[in-house]
Amino acid sequence: MEYEVIIGIEIHCELKTKTKMFSGAPVLFGAPANTCVNEIDLGHPGTMPCVNKQAVAMAVQACTALNMEIDPLVRFDRKNYYYTDLPKGFQITQQFYPIGRHGYVEIETENGPKKIRIERLHMEEDTAKQFHYDAGTLIDFNRAGTPLVEIVSEPDIRSGKEAMAYVEKLRTTLYYLGVSDVKMEEGSMRCDVNISLRPAGTEKFGVKTEIKNLNSISNVQKAVEYEIERQTQILNEGGQVVQETRRFDEATRTTISMRKKEGAVDYKYFPEPNIFPIQLDAQWIRQLQEAMPEMPEVRQARYVELGLPETDIALLVANKDLADYYDQVMKHTSHAKIAANWVIVELPAGLTKLNKKLSENPVAPQAMAELVNMIVGGEISGKQAKVVFEEVLQGKDPKQVAQEKGMKQLSDTSALIALVNQVLDEQPQSITDYKNGKDRAVGFLVGQVMKKSKGQANPAMTNKLIVEELKKRI
Amino acid sequence: MEEIKDPAYFKELAHRLMFDLSDAEAADIAAEFETLGKQLTLLESIDTTGVEPMVYPFETPTAYLREDVVDHVISREDALVNAPKVRECHIVVPKVVK
Amino acid sequence: MATMKELKETTTVRQRVEEALAKAHASQPQLNAVVTFVDVEEQLTGLNEIADGPFYGMPIALKDNVCTQGIRTTASSKILDNYIPVYNAHIVDKLKAAGAIVIAKASMDELAMGGTNLTAATGPVYNPYDHSRMAGGSSGGSAALVAAGVVPFAIGSDTGDSVRKPASFCGVLGMKPTYGRISRYGIIPYSSSLDHVGYFTRSALDAAEALKVLAGRDDRDMTSSYEPVPDYAAALSSDVTGRKVAIFKNVIDALGNPQVKAMFEKTVEALKDRGAIVEEVSLREDLLKAILPAYYLIANCEATANHSNLDGIRFGVQQPGDSMEEIMIQSRTKGFGSLIRKRFVIGSYGLFVENQEKLFRQAQRVRRLIVENVAEMMKDYDILIAPASSDVAPKLDDHSRDELSDGYLIAENHMVIGNFTGYPSCTVPMGMLNGLPVGLNMTAKAWDEQSLFDFAAAMEEITGMKDATAEVME
Repeated sequence: MEYEVIIGIEIHCELKTKTKMFSGAPVLFGAPANTCVNEIDLGHPGTMPCVNKQAVAMAVQACTALNMEIDPLVRFDRKNYYYTDLPKGFQITQQFYPIGRHGYVEIETENGPKKIRIERLHMEEDTAKQFHYDAGTLIDFNRAGTPLVEIVSEPDIRSGKEAMAYVEKLRTTLYYLGVSDVKMEEGSMRCDVNISLRPAGTEKFGVKTEIKNLNSISNVQKAVEYEIERQTQILNEGGQVVQETRRFDEATRTTISMRKKEGAVDYKYFPEPNIFPIQLDAQWIRQLQEAMPEMPEVRQARYVELGLPETDIALLVANKDLADYYDQVMKHTSHAKIAANWVIVELPAGLTKLNKKLSENPVAPQAMAELVNMIVGGEISGKQAKVVFEEVLQGKDPKQVAQEKGMKQLSDTSALIALVNQVLDEQPQSITDYKNGKDRAVGFLVGQVMKKSKGQANPAMTNKLIVEELKKRI
Repeated sequence: MEEIKDPAYFKELAHRLMFDLSDAEAADIAAEFETLGKQLTLLESIDTTGVEPMVYPFETPTAYLREDVVDHVISREDALVNAPKVRECHIVVPKVVK
Repeated sequence: MATMKELKETTTVRQRVEEALAKAHASQPQLNAVVTFVDVEEQLTGLNEIADGPFYGMPIALKDNVCTQGIRTTASSKILDNYIPVYNAHIVDKLKAAGAIVIAKASMDELAMGGTNLTAATGPVYNPYDHSRMAGGSSGGSAALVAAGVVPFAIGSDTGDSVRKPASFCGVLGMKPTYGRISRYGIIPYSSSLDHVGYFTRSALDAAEALKVLAGRDDRDMTSSYEPVPDYAAALSSDVTGRKVAIFKNVIDALGNPQVKAMFEKTVEALKDRGAIVEEVSLREDLLKAILPAYYLIANCEATANHSNLDGIRFGVQQPGDSMEEIMIQSRTKGFGSLIRKRFVIGSYGLFVENQEKLFRQAQRVRRLIVENVAEMMKDYDILIAPASSDVAPKLDDHSRDELSDGYLIAENHMVIGNFTGYPSCTVPMGMLNGLPVGLNMTAKAWDEQSLFDFAAAMEEITGMKDATAEVME
């Protein structure tokens, strides 16, 4: 039977604030255990929450980027359950009035762009981190109280690919905003996927399963595809899908049952009495929106305008830091395509050789732009440029390097014409070949000129002059 | 009014709140529920059509939000000083199976 | 005895502190009001740098739900028997900055959830005037220490009438200012939307001086108010000529004890003699009778969440167990008294999804109706008055109350109105009945604590019960 796949995705993102959602203790990844806490994060008796302004600002910006309606009256609620990683025995969240509602993002699919609606975005606090050993579970409260936004999609997603595209879209958007590190591997972005199948053309939703523990974007696709297959098989065999939570197992690339959902848990949500509703100033919201950095779609459109190849655009847009660097380079040159090529290919290769990250990039954007300008201006050849770049990677100025190496490219027309004619005189066979329509004769001749000039002849000019001189001789 | 709940119901409810009730306590509470039930009738009999629940004594919204500046962190020693069981600077409990 | 003001004028710091400590120890066998005696030496040494003021070198007591850094704070619950806060409640910092010397942490009903002070982990607090009677609760220890002349000032907290009822039973002034007037940060809560910090004194002037020190915005308590804090003491006037007083007629009608009624009528006459304009007002009877059940639900629903942090994991007394669940269950079962666990069960029941609408939210709706009706009823008056209790302090083993009678539902519970509305409310001695005090409750409109202090001053002149104390020691 044909089935329609129904997928909804819940994403939790840690916000990149300096302090916790409800306390002034620091948020630091990788700090020694239990050193980034105060009495509030530990849920000590008598403590009270105090809302972090920056977390609200970031949520407002995220809502804006996701085309959501913003509720300017910020309200919080309690979600009650008992667990060792939940210090207060309740989590402060926004159950009844999420800050954002009714948004959407557009993803690319095989059939063109598709809108995925977003039901809600709300703020809440993270739990403590637990480390499970046979001898016991160790609890580190550094993460407890870290600001989170939870983003819940409508069940608009229909395949593993779409699921991946949606998560990727949210990831880049939030990363561009600078509100989260969105590292799935480190858990600063977490993704739960709900999947159900229903016979194509029917209305009623099938039984859904929830998949957790997806620690990379590609695993989202793999897990969804496996789960679709699993559910399809069950249904085809006349079986019933069990409502349960499953986790993705990387080793076997399958999903494994974690626990059955025996009726919904009653979290006894009720409004948080210690936080009065907070009225956000309309002007403040506007300022936050105006201060938002460029979003991926806008950057993409800008790069299309620059005439960059599709693959380059995709690569740059997906790598914000590299693209930011590219934009810096482009402030000092107008040669978009060559600059893109150097930023995408040569720079990462060079950094890899040096075992450096992009954040440690020693090549100033001006230097990179200068190199590009030298190539385009014919001052050095592409080949020479690669040699020069080796030293630019050491932080040197490209002009100076070229000079030191005596790499002035031979771009003087009269000198080049002399060389060309010398070569033509020595290679009569090539002239005959050219006459007979063998175009590769030109390439051979360029090579000869390069040889004679010890590699300094400007290849483009040489090529052009050879053709001109050949024509004179036919 | 509330249907009559038996002591076993309250024991189960208590368990979800992470404590036990003795047989006597559960029986007590079942009995008290009858009095409570009558008091609740006084509550339910009031017509609250169109009345919004009052969550806070004063309902003028506030505008205050805390600046995102680290202003209070306690030492690890203080963080763990009240913890009944500590190992390797972590609070420790028997292995939790999530 | 002496009020704060008189103590300051007649004793040295060391004299009054040592005398208070001696009295506290000496009265402990009769009153059982102290949970923890506090070492004063360090506090005395730190005193030099502090400016003069009403609390300078003044021995005081704190209810044991006030968190004190380095000093055991149990909220009279076994589960917190070993809890030593790592931080001070906001008011502790304020009092210390004003030079107050904390000599004792005072007994209370377990987690402030009671009105008798019979449920403290350390046993009942006995009424200073008759040791076979209750001190009242939940701030019974604080009330008894002030009434017995041990300290001139003690902090309490008031969720239903937990300052104002024991003040009535013990014959002292019990003040509950407007909600948000004093920061609750560091007060182990009962029910956050009803909890108020309050206090006991033996004079109107001391009460007026004290509020100036305690009141004011604290960013750590988002519900605390920016309302300016006036100089209440400077403005204090016992002249009530032309001031408008409303008699809470329903309460008077529900009084069971004719002697209390007579005493109240005498008080009214005295106020009239002093030029006050006294009139009767009434509230809808159905709303009045709903006060207790509405209170019971709101308080217990919030309390069950507020105390979910007490699980024996991060602090408090942990019971052994083989799993996290067993540890929590054992710790909470053994750590909480029977009454507390029963109330948590009821609170949780009221929050269940299937019950919340008709119980918790209905209670909150009724709260709104009561608040609106009270506001209307008090519109034209400075204060609303009624006896704080329908009788003198009950015997310790008195179980005779009929929880469905008007005498109980109205006469014993009307003061909850002060918590529902957040209005300031205060109990002052009204007179003695067979050697036992009875209090008058006065409620003013939001932020008008001044009217309460003024009428308290007038009452002192009427009753002559300023600085009344019981002789406890033989």
